[in-house]
Amino acid sequence: MASNAVGLFRNPDAALAAAGRLKAAGFAALDLISPIPLHGVEEALGKKSSVIKRFTFFGALFGGLSGFALAAGTAVLYLHPTGGRPIIPFPPFLIITYEMTILCGILGTVLGFLISARLPVIRERVYVPEAAVDKFAVTVSCESLERAQRAAAILREAGGEIVGAASSREG
Amino acid sequence: MSFFDDFLAKWREYRKPGYYERFDYAWTMTIDLDRCTGCEACVTACQAENNIPILGEAELAKGREMQWMRIERYWEGEYPDVKLRFIPMLCQHCDAAPCETVCPVSATYHNQDGLNAQVYNRCIGTRSCAVYCPYDVRYFNYTDHQWDKPLDEQLNPDVTVREKGVMEKCTFCIQRIRQAKDSAKDDGRRRVRDGEVQPACVQSCPAEALVFGDRQDPESRVSSMMDNARAYRVLEELNTLPSVVYLKKVDGNAG
Amino acid sequence: MQAKSSPISYADVNNDIVRSLVVTGPKYYITLAAAISLTLICYFFPWFYQLYYGIGAAGMNHPQVWGTYLASFIFWIGLSHSGTLLSCVLHLTNSAWRKAMYRSAEAMTLFSLMVAASMVAVHLGRPWFIHWSLPYPNQMEMWPNFRSPLLFDVMAITTYLTGSSIFIYMGSIPDFAAVRDRTTGWRHYMYRLLSLGWRGTDTEWHRLGWAYTFLAVLIIPLAVSVHSIVSWDFALSVVPALHLTIFAPYFVVGAIYSGTAGIVTVMFVLRKYMKFEKYITELHFDNLGKLLLALSLLWTYINMLEVFTGWYSGESAELEALEYKLFGKYGPLYWEMILFCAVTPLLCMFKRFRTSFVPMLILSIAINIGMYTERFLIVGTSLSRKYLPDAWNSLYVPSVVELSILAGSVALFCTLFLIFVKIFPSVSIYEVKETLPAPEKGSPQWQATQ
Repeated sequence: MASNAVGLFRNPDAALAAAGRLKAAGFAALDLISPIPLHGVEEALGKKSSVIKRFTFFGALFGGLSGFALAAGTAVLYLHPTGGRPIIPFPPFLIITYEMTILCGILGTVLGFLISARLPVIRERVYVPEAAVDKFAVTVSCESLERAQRAAAILREAGGEIVGAASSREG
Repeated sequence: MSFFDDFLAKWREYRKPGYYERFDYAWTMTIDLDRCTGCEACVTACQAENNIPILGEAELAKGREMQWMRIERYWEGEYPDVKLRFIPMLCQHCDAAPCETVCPVSATYHNQDGLNAQVYNRCIGTRSCAVYCPYDVRYFNYTDHQWDKPLDEQLNPDVTVREKGVMEKCTFCIQRIRQAKDSAKDDGRRRVRDGEVQPACVQSCPAEALVFGDRQDPESRVSSMMDNARAYRVLEELNTLPSVVYLKKVDGNAG
Repeated sequence: MQAKSSPISYADVNNDIVRSLVVTGPKYYITLAAAISLTLICYFFPWFYQLYYGIGAAGMNHPQVWGTYLASFIFWIGLSHSGTLLSCVLHLTNSAWRKAMYRSAEAMTLFSLMVAASMVAVHLGRPWFIHWSLPYPNQMEMWPNFRSPLLFDVMAITTYLTGSSIFIYMGSIPDFAAVRDRTTGWRHYMYRLLSLGWRGTDTEWHRLGWAYTFLAVLIIPLAVSVHSIVSWDFALSVVPALHLTIFAPYFVVGAIYSGTAGIVTVMFVLRKYMKFEKYITELHFDNLGKLLLALSLLWTYINMLEVFTGWYSGESAELEALEYKLFGKYGPLYWEMILFCAVTPLLCMFKRFRTSFVPMLILSIAINIGMYTERFLIVGTSLSRKYLPDAWNSLYVPSVVELSILAGSVALFCTLFLIFVKIFPSVSIYEVKETLPAPEKGSPQWQATQ
C-alpha cells in the first residue's frame, strides 16, 4: 500500500532545500507543488526533460505532408481546371501546407503536453489546496507508512508546517 | 517501372498550366465594332434566351444591373465634334480567367470547350468572382425575381431560372452548344459545323457584327475574322487570354 | 517590476480574482441583458430579414459587390491580431508588463475571430451552403477549391481560431485549478472539468512552460500569415486599387495597430468595472501607448508608400482609383481616417497622455473608428474603379440593414466578452504572482495568511 508525506513551506527556497534533503536521504518520488512556476526545480529533483518537442515536430511534419496531400489529392480527385493554372499549382498549395503544418504542430504540442504532464487526472493524486494560493508543498510518494513517516520527519526538520503522512488507497 | 512512368505522365499533366492540351471546340466570338450600331438587339435576345430577370426601376436606381450582354458607350470630344463608341461587353471566357481561381467552392471552371462555365447550384454567393473579373461581366442575383404576366410565358425551358444569392453571366448560350453537339452526335459522330450553333446575340444582330465559331478550325469564319489587321482583345495587357476578339472601328476622320 | 505601494500578497490575488468571478452585481446583469438584446435586435433580426429577402437588403450593387460585411470581417480579424500575437511576442521576450493583461487580450482575439467568422456567414449569398467550403467527403465527390485565396482564408482562420482557443485554455489551466479550490456548486464542477485535475507540481509547470513556449513560437508566424492571407483576398485580384504587393504588410501592421487599440479599450473597461486597479496600472497604458505610437508611425509610412507608388507609376487606372479614394465622393472619409489613425496617435509621444486613462480610451476608440474607415475604403471604393470606365458606378451607400449588423456585431462581441469575464479568470493569477515578491516568514503577508 502506498503512502504519502506532505510538508508545506512558506517560500520556495525552503521547499527546495527540503526537497534536496529528501533526495539526499534516498527518496525518489518527489513533487514540489507551487502556485507559480519555479525555475530549475526539475533538474534539482532529477527529472527527465520534456518530450513535448518531439510531439510538436512530428505533429508539424504530419501536418505539412497531409496539408499538401489534402490540397493536391482533392484537386486530382475532381479535375476542374481554373484560371489557366495547373491542377497542382505550388504557390497556393504551399500556403495550405503551411497552415496545416502549424495547425498540426499546435495539436501535437497539446497532445504532448497532456501526455507528458499526465493530465487529465483520473485517479486522485496527493494535493494541498493551500499550495495553489501562497504556500509551497513538497510531497513524497513512498512504499510504506514507515517510510512516509520518516520523510515527514525530515520535512519537519527542514522547517515545514502542517506536515503529515498518510497511506492512500492507491499509489 | 510502369507505375513510375504513369506517375510522371500524370504529374506532367497536372502541372501543365490550364490543363488542356487542346480544346474540344475553342468557341470564340468576334465583334466587328465598325458594324455595331449600338441597337441592343443582342441585349434583348440574350435576355429572352437566358431567362434574364428584369430588375425594375427601384433596383436600377440602387445601381444594380442584370445584362449578360451590355453595350458600353464612350463619348469622345465636345459638341459639335462628339463621337460615340459602342462596345458590346459580355463574358470574355478568358482562358486564364481571374474569376475561376478565386471561387472557394469551384462553382466556376474552364470546361473542355474553352468556356468559362458557371455552376448555379454550387454557387454560395461569395461574389469574389465578380470582384476578380476585370471586365465586370458577372452579375449577382441580389433578390429573387418575378416575371409579371405575360412575360412568364416567354421563359426558355432549356435554361434554368436562378435563385437569389447566385452569380450568373454570359454562357455563350451553352444550351445551344450542347444541343448542337447532341444533334451532331445523333447524326453519327460528326463534328458541329461552322455556323450551325449561334448564341442568341449572334443570331439576332441585324448588322451581322457578331460572328461565332471554333477558332481551332482553320476553315471557320471566326478564324478568318481573327486574322484581320483590326483585331484586338480588350484589356489584353492583363493576360487573361479572352476568347472574344474585337475588330477596331475604322475612324474615317483619322489620318 | 514592482507592485504598487501597498504590497499585494499572493492570497490577495486569489481573493480578488475569485471575487471577480463569483460576486456579481446588478450592474453586470443589466449590461449583459442590454448586450444580448442589442445583439438580437441589431444583428440577428436584420440578418434573418436578409436571409429571407436576399443580399439585396444590403446596399451593394454592380460592380460594387462587396461592402460593409467584408469590411467588418477584416476589421474583426484585425482586432483579433493583437491579443494573441502580442501575448506570444511578449512572452518570448520575457516581458513583465504583459502578465496582468494578456488573458483578456487573448479573449479579445478569440471573440473577434468568432464575430469575424459570423460576418462571413452574413456576407454570403447562400450561407446555408457555407459548409461546402470545408473539405469533407460527400456524395457529390466535390471538394473545395484549394487554389482559391478564400480557401486560404478558411484554412488560416480555422487554424488561428483553434490555436487561439488552445493557447488561452492552456494558459488558464492553473488558474482554473486555483478557482476550483475556492468555489462550490456548479462552478466547482465546471472548474474541476476545465482544470483537468491540475495540481501545480513541478512536472506539470515544467511541461506547461514548454508547451506554452512552443505554442507561442508557432502562433507568431501563424498570426502574421492569417492577416496576410486575408489581404490576399484583395491583392490577388486584378483590381487596380487592390493588386498591390504592399497589401500583406499593410494589413498585418493595420491589424496589430487596431488590435492594440482594442486592448487599450478592453483594459480600461476591465480595470474600471472589474475593480482590477491594482493589476492593470499606468505602466500598462504607458507601454501600450508607446506601442500605439510605433504602430501608428509604421501605418502612416505604409499608407504614404501606397499613395506614392500609385501616383509615381503614372498608370491611368491606378491614378484614377487613387484620385477616387482621396478626392472623390468618399474623400472626407479618407481624411477622417488619416486624422484618427495618423495624426491623433502622435499624442502618445507625451508620457502624461499615455498614462491618463480616459484620454487613452478615447484615443483607442478613435483609432478603431479610423481603422474601420480604412477597411471600408479598401472594400468600398476599389471595386467601383476597375479598368472599364463604363462599369464605374456611382456611390455605394450602406443600407440600414448593413449598419445595424455592424452595430450588432459590436454588441455580439460585448456579449461574448461579458460571459467570458465570469467564467475565465480575466487576469492571470499565477502570472501576476510571478511579478510579486514571494511570501516570506515574518513578513506582513505571512501574518495575513496565518
